[in-house]
Order: sequence, then structure tokens, then C-alpha cells
Amino acid sequence: MNTQASSVLESVQALEKSLEQVEATVEREGLPDDERVRRAKKAFLRKLDGRKAVDLDTCIHCGMCAEACPFYETTQDERYAPVNKYHLLRRFYRREVSPMRPVFRPFTRDITIDDLREWRHYVFDACTGCARCDMICPMGINVSSLIRIVREGIGAADLMPPRLQRLKTEQAEKNSIVGVDGQKLREIADQLADQGIDVPLDKDGAEIMMLTTSMEMRSFPSALAANAKILNKAGANWTMFPEACESANLGYVAGDTAAMRVAVKRIVDKAKQHSIKTVVLPETGHGYQVLRWLGANTVGEQLPFEVLSIIEFIIREQGEGRLALKQGGAGTSVAYQDPCRLSRKGGILQEPRDILESMGFELRETEYHGREDYCCGGGCGEYVLSTGSELRHKVFALKKGLFEDTGADKVVTACASCRYNFLIGAEKSGWEKPIISLSETVAEQLAD
Amino acid sequence: MRKDQTLGEYLQSHGVSRRGFLKYCSATASLMALPPSALSQVAEALAQARRPSVIWLSFQECTGCTESLTRSHAPTVESLIFDAISLDYHHTLQAAAGHGAEDARMAAMEENKGKYIVVVDGSIPVEHPEYSTIAGITNLDMLKETAEHCAAIVAVGSCAAFGGLPNANPNPTGARSVSDIITDKPVINVPGCPPIPVVITGVLAQVLTFGLGSVEVDHLGRPTAFFGQNIHDRCYRRPFYERGQFAETFDDEGAKAGWCLYKLGCKGPTTYNACATLKWNEGASFPIQSGHGCIGCSEPNFWDAGGFYKPISAGMWGSREALLGAAAAGAAVGAASALAARSRKKKALAEEEA
Amino acid sequence: MTLLEFARGPGLQWALWIFLFGVLWRVVGAMYLLGTKDLSKFRSKHYVRDGLRAVLTRSAPAEAFEKKIRFQHLTGYAWHLALFISVLFFAPHILFFESVLGFGWPHLPNTVILVTAAIATATLIALLIRRATHPVQRLISNADDYISVLAVLMPLVSGILAFAHVGARYETLLAIHLLTVEFMLVWYPFSKLMHTFMTIPSRYQTGTFFGHRGVKA
Repeated sequence: MNTQASSVLESVQALEKSLEQVEATVEREGLPDDERVRRAKKAFLRKLDGRKAVDLDTCIHCGMCAEACPFYETTQDERYAPVNKYHLLRRFYRREVSPMRPVFRPFTRDITIDDLREWRHYVFDACTGCARCDMICPMGINVSSLIRIVREGIGAADLMPPRLQRLKTEQAEKNSIVGVDGQKLREIADQLADQGIDVPLDKDGAEIMMLTTSMEMRSFPSALAANAKILNKAGANWTMFPEACESANLGYVAGDTAAMRVAVKRIVDKAKQHSIKTVVLPETGHGYQVLRWLGANTVGEQLPFEVLSIIEFIIREQGEGRLALKQGGAGTSVAYQDPCRLSRKGGILQEPRDILESMGFELRETEYHGREDYCCGGGCGEYVLSTGSELRHKVFALKKGLFEDTGADKVVTACASCRYNFLIGAEKSGWEKPIISLSETVAEQLAD
Repeated sequence: MRKDQTLGEYLQSHGVSRRGFLKYCSATASLMALPPSALSQVAEALAQARRPSVIWLSFQECTGCTESLTRSHAPTVESLIFDAISLDYHHTLQAAAGHGAEDARMAAMEENKGKYIVVVDGSIPVEHPEYSTIAGITNLDMLKETAEHCAAIVAVGSCAAFGGLPNANPNPTGARSVSDIITDKPVINVPGCPPIPVVITGVLAQVLTFGLGSVEVDHLGRPTAFFGQNIHDRCYRRPFYERGQFAETFDDEGAKAGWCLYKLGCKGPTTYNACATLKWNEGASFPIQSGHGCIGCSEPNFWDAGGFYKPISAGMWGSREALLGAAAAGAAVGAASALAARSRKKKALAEEEA
Repeated sequence: MTLLEFARGPGLQWALWIFLFGVLWRVVGAMYLLGTKDLSKFRSKHYVRDGLRAVLTRSAPAEAFEKKIRFQHLTGYAWHLALFISVLFFAPHILFFESVLGFGWPHLPNTVILVTAAIATATLIALLIRRATHPVQRLISNADDYISVLAVLMPLVSGILAFAHVGARYETLLAIHLLTVEFMLVWYPFSKLMHTFMTIPSRYQTGTFFGHRGVKA
């Protein structure tokens, strides 16, 4: 591994340590159990509509979704079948919302506090919401959306894993994640300025608002630098606002819709305040999904700006002639990891491949790629959880095998969570394969 | 024939040779699917048969059963056999009329107490007995009175066997079958509208030859020798059913080619009779062969089975309006249920905002 | 009233009423819960087309998944196809539908139907065995699943027996066949058999959901 990777790894390990400390300091609210159950049910009720009803009524218990789920695949534990993960929601629906509730109710068990505690493991440790199950279901059920609602129910009951509970509260109340906030951005901007990389902060009249994540600032500041280089090279009129630079959303991850809304509003309000035309997201997974596809619904109105991933920005700038890339990848083969929130759930499938090929890389597709690619195993907050680390690592082993089979020289990813997970997994298993970031690679290949 | 003359003596006196007699017995035996070895038994039994007294009661009937039987024969041995039965009472065939006829009936009943056979055609109005009377006596009373000391009853025709046409919806006369009324005497049902002539004579011949107890009947009291198989299984058009070649109308190419008549309402699959094997008019044809579906006339309630031209599988599920009504009611209940759920959801959402 | 008269008459009548009442109740009751409008900016305006396409393509899972689900996929296909052919292309059945709908359609020879009915029965039993033995399906299956199998298996088996005139008098076999169908009709709206009606809206909405995002569902 090169020195860049090892320094990343150091910061990754430091993050792990601080997360362990977070767990130790969590004080749980002593909500009575029946109040927790009541809140969970209310959360279910809020999200159930005609579309979810059709989904819940269509399942034929075929179990094919399990065959798509990386957590089932790597453990053969039938409790991790996606259909089982949303079982609580189905029971609630049949008891309380279904048109047939008078008929079903006597035959359907009520949700209990023990159910919520048991399902916490399934929907937080053993599910990243990667939607691979959505792709296989012969009935066309949005399985991952149903599991998502169960996560929200458990979150509403304040039973989410302690680390997540602490982090989402921190983000909502203090606008920081594990102590990383806008102040860190200012520090990085200063450091980069010394290196000759301009990161304009709080600039009036900017058209483009760039975002980052606490993980990026803490563990992958080179990615932030790369984004800055790319934006500057394209001649973009851009800025970053330290008070609204965080694109990760721990409220979303923890299943706390109120906290999720707070974090989204910070970005949207700031963008509106400064008449921003385009918000660009760094290499982040759920951050992209939350703003691009859930943001408008979260704030209850259409967003007055467009939302792009850095990948989409690069492609657009390339296409309009404002960015040219060198062929530095010639002679190197790469395998691309499709981050679930960007590709399968985000629609950014072809662009990263085009970018890689435009830099001369030889692209070697893994056996499952694009729409059917496996999740990295650690997204959507999964990487934060100590209770999920064994499962994560099993999925990592699966991915490692797939990458190895391609014989590619390097593994490329466009999401910080994927990157983080692969680095931890590589370190644990002694895997030497270089794992590189797409935007950093692009920044290295910027032509003059 | 004199009352004390045996059947054999009677035939001999009419010039029927022994050979001719045996030929008839052989035909009768094979009709009943008996082996050749039974021939001598049949011959001996018939030759020794004494002319039983038969009282034929006609109630709410169209006389079609009698017509069928009498039309069916030219001057054949069968007609002699029939004459050889002491038919002591029959509205259409007897010479006597009025009080004389009724006296003959009462005399026959008295002289042959416990031994005479009653043949009935036509249904009996039970709810309105006064709708059908003979000589001032209601059918119901006449049946009960005549059946009291009989040996057995043969209910000829679907009216007597099951109620027939009078019994069809709405059954204004309250018509019932013989076995609905007489429950303490053996009743053999020989249904059909009308029954096949040789079926009637075949049943009687079996009774004469082997006695009443020899007649095996199905759960509807019909002799299994003639009513044991359904038309569908013996129908010569069955291969067309299997191949799926059906006549769609009575004069299309399929009809002309003699294809299966299921779509035109044939009730063959659920009808038990001998039409497809014995046929009618001394084996000339039967309805299906003539191009018309079986109407199921030897089955109970065949008039109310949905219609002669409606296929069996179309069912009798009522009206389309009622189906649409059920669907509309369901939609209304569903909509109401959804509205109720939505208002609870609205409340939950409002709670979240608060 | 004989068993057949009941089965062809009031039994069928009530079963049809309950079936229609229940199906509409459930479908309208679920869909009338309505959806929340998605305010995000869609990548593609062809999402209606994407929805309709998903209705068809979900019957053929992606190549990448195929080897994991091949048995269920192919057996499930064979089961449904054999069932539809047996139910929809047998001449006496078409006459029933014609009496309800007012129009019919061409039929297949009875011997072909006998083969498809046998295939349907065999595949259904094979899938039942899988349900009872595979760990995932054992965990998630409930009474509804098993009773639904029975509700469809009985008409198939009784229909084959009636057709072949095996086991009892024909009119009794026919009556039993009709009664098993009537049980299925009454069970239908309250069971997972409703996926018959829900599959198309479910696939459609997944098609549009992913179509919005520019992903083939």
C-alpha cells in the first residue's frame, strides 16, 4: 500500500477509536417500553400509503430477495432475508392499516418491545438499504423502502444503536459529527491554501455550493483537495459554507426523521439564502441519496437548485469542454465498485465508467456490476456499528473475491463509505490491492 | 289371455313357435347383458309366468310415455307379451269408461291383493290435490289407495319418477313424484321424457323373469341395467369432445360434420340413460345423433337445470347486475376503510410536526 | 337439491359475490390510501413507459441473479403458465367465462389441457416441497401460504379426476370440483392469492420509482 493509503488508514483507525468512545458515553433516555412501541407504530403509520400498501400486499413469500442480499449470501442465516427484515411493518399494516384489518387483526401478532429490539439487529447491522433485493423481487416490491420504514420505527422508539443515537443527536444539536464540523473545514482550507489549492469559503455570488463529509474531512482530506482542484480547473464559480458543509445525514442513518430534516434544512436554507444554482456532493453514498432524491420530500417543496454528484459534475464539464483529462491510466486495469446509493439507487451507472475510460484505464467489470453490483457491506451507517462488524467483514470477503477474480490492478470507488469499508477490510485480511478514489484519480489527471 | 293361463301356453295358442319364443328370450337376455347360459332360465321363467295383474295409473301426464311405448311396436312378440299381462286398468288403452273403469280397478285390486303391480305415469299434485282428479278421486288419494296392497310400483316417465314438467319452477300444482308419496312399497323409477320403449319392457321382463328383487337400482331407484352409465361415456361423438371440436350453432360446419354438442347445451355428461346404446325407434337414432344436445330428461329437475341450450359449465350463478352490485359494494367498503386509515395517518403526521 | 345443483347454483352464486366484493374491497382499500407526491427532479420523463416495462420484465430476472434463483424462476413460470392454460383454454371453462363476461375465446383440445393440468399439479407440489424445506421459506411462510396452495391444488386435482371420470360418479366429481373452486374464490380476497391483482401495480410502481432515477427496474 502506498503512503497515502496508510495515512488514510491511520485516520480510519482513529475514527474507530472515537466511535468506541462515543458508545461508552451514551446515556439512553429511559422511555417506558410501551411508549417506545407506541412511537414505533406512529412512525410506521406516517410512512404507510397506497404504494406501500400495494407492496405489502403483494409479497408471496418466495424468498428470492434473500438470494440477492449480501448479508444472507455470506451467512446463509434466514433471519437476514429482506422479507423477514420488514416483517414488523407487515404485521402492523395488517393489523392497523390494511382494508382487511378487521379480518386479519385476530390472526396477526401485535408489535412488542422485544420485536423492536430483535429487529434492530436485522435492520441496522444486517442491512445497508442497498436495494439489491428491490432488483430481484419478481413481484416488483420496493423491499428496501419497507425495511427503511422499520428502521424509522425503531429510531422513533429511540432504540437505534447507541452510536447512531449519539451521532444523530450531535449532528442535529451541534452541527458536528464526532466533533468534526465547519471549523475543521476552515483548518483544511487553510492547509490547502498553503499548498496552492484554493477553497473559497462563504463566497458571495457563488453559483455552485460544494459539500463535504466529516469522514472526508477526517480520513480523506485528499479527496476534498481533489474536488477543489477539479472545480477550480473547470473555472467554476464555487464556494463552501462551513456552517452548511456536511452532506452526511446521521438522522437519516439512525432512522430519526426529525433529525434528518434538520440537517437537510441546513443545506437547503443556506443554498436558498445565497441563491445557489447547483449543489455538488463529494464522494458520499447516502449523502447523495438524501439530498438528491429525498431532500425535496423532506423539506416539503421542490428544491430551487440542481443537485449533482461530483461524478456528474465532472462528466458535464468534460462534455462541455471545460475539463480535459490526461491518459494517465493507460496500462492500468481497474475494477469499479458501484456504490449502491449512486448507481442502483441514484442512476449514476455509466458516468464513472466513461470517466475512467477517458483517463485511459482498462475497465474490468466484476461478475456483478452496475445495477446488480453487491453493496460494500458498510453503507448507511453500517460502518459505524460495532455490532455489525462481523457481518460487514463477511460481505467484504465476498467483494474481495469478486475483485480478485477480475485480476484488475486497482479497485476504484466513488463513495467514502465504500472506500472506508474496503480499507478496514483490507487491513484486517491483509489484502494488498490498492483502493483508490475516482475524484482523486481525476484530480491527478487534470490536463492543463 | 285367460287369467290362469301361463304366458307360454298363451303364446303357443297364438301360433308363436318354440323357436320364435326362444329367439325373443335370447334377445331379451342379451338386452339385459346376461350370458348365453341364462337363456334357458329366461325361457323357462317367461314360459311359466302367470299373467300378473297390472294397474296403470295416469296422473298429471301428457300420455307421452304410453304413446312412446305403443308407438314403438309393430305387431311384434313384445306386443303379445304386453297383451299377455293382465292390464286391468289403463285410461288410454282400456275399453271401459266411467264407473265401469273404476269398478274394474277395485276388482283387480281385490282379486290380486298383495300381488298386483302398479305402473304410474304422471306426477301427483300434493299441495293442490284438487287440480287433478279422476272420477272425483284426487290423484293423491287414488295413488295411496291403489298402492296399499300392491306388490310393487313402477314409476314410468320422469313425471312419475321425479315430478317432471309439472314439478318445474314454480311448480304451481305442488307436483311430487311417486316415491315422495309412497315410502312403504318398492318403487322402481324408469325415468325419461319419455323413456325408451324397450327400457320399459326390459324392466318389466326382468321383473317377470327374475322377480322384483333382481332389479338392481341406483341411488335414484333407476335400474342400473339401463341407467347405470351416462350418455357422455357411450356417446359416439366423444372423440370430438376430447379433440375439442364443437358445433357452435345448429347449422355451422361443425354441426354438419357431427361434432360434439357440449357448447349447444348437451347434458350428456350428467345424464344416465340408454339412449346412446339402445337408441330410439328400434335403434334408428337418438337426439345427439340427430344433431340436438341431450336435454337430460331422465334426471331429476332437468327442466330447471339452466336451460337446454346453456352448457353445463355455464352454471346458474344469477345475474350480472348482482355481480356488479357485489363489486361496487366491495369498492365502497374499501374506500371507507382507506379514508379511515388516512385520517389516522394525518393525525400521526400532525403529531410529528407538533 | 343435489350436490351438483347446489354447486352450480347457489354455491357458485355466493362464491362469486364474495370474491368480487372482497377483491374490490382489498384493491380499492389499499390503493385509495393514495401515494405521496415525489417532489424530486426526475432524470427521465419516460417513467410511465418504465413502469409498464417493469410489469413485463420482472418476470425475467436479471441474468446476474438467474443462477441463484433458477429453480424457483423456471418452476414458478411453468406452474403459472400451465395453470393459466388449464383454466383459460379448456372449452367448458371458457363457456363459463363467456356466460359471465359476454364473450369467449378459442379453446385447446382436452388432451392438451390434461397435460397442462398435470404439469401445474406437479410444479405446485414441487414448490410446496421447497417451501416446507428451504430455511428462508420455512421462516417466512405462514398458514396463508399453505392454505393458498391447498385452495389451488384442490380444484386442479378434482378437475383432473372429474375429467378422467375417476373416483366417483361424474356428477359427484363435477360437484366436488365446483365446490373446491368456490372455496378458492371465497378464500381469495383474504389471502396472498391477491397477488394476482397486486403484481401489476407493484411492478409498475417499482418501474417508475427506479425510472425516475434513470435505473432500469
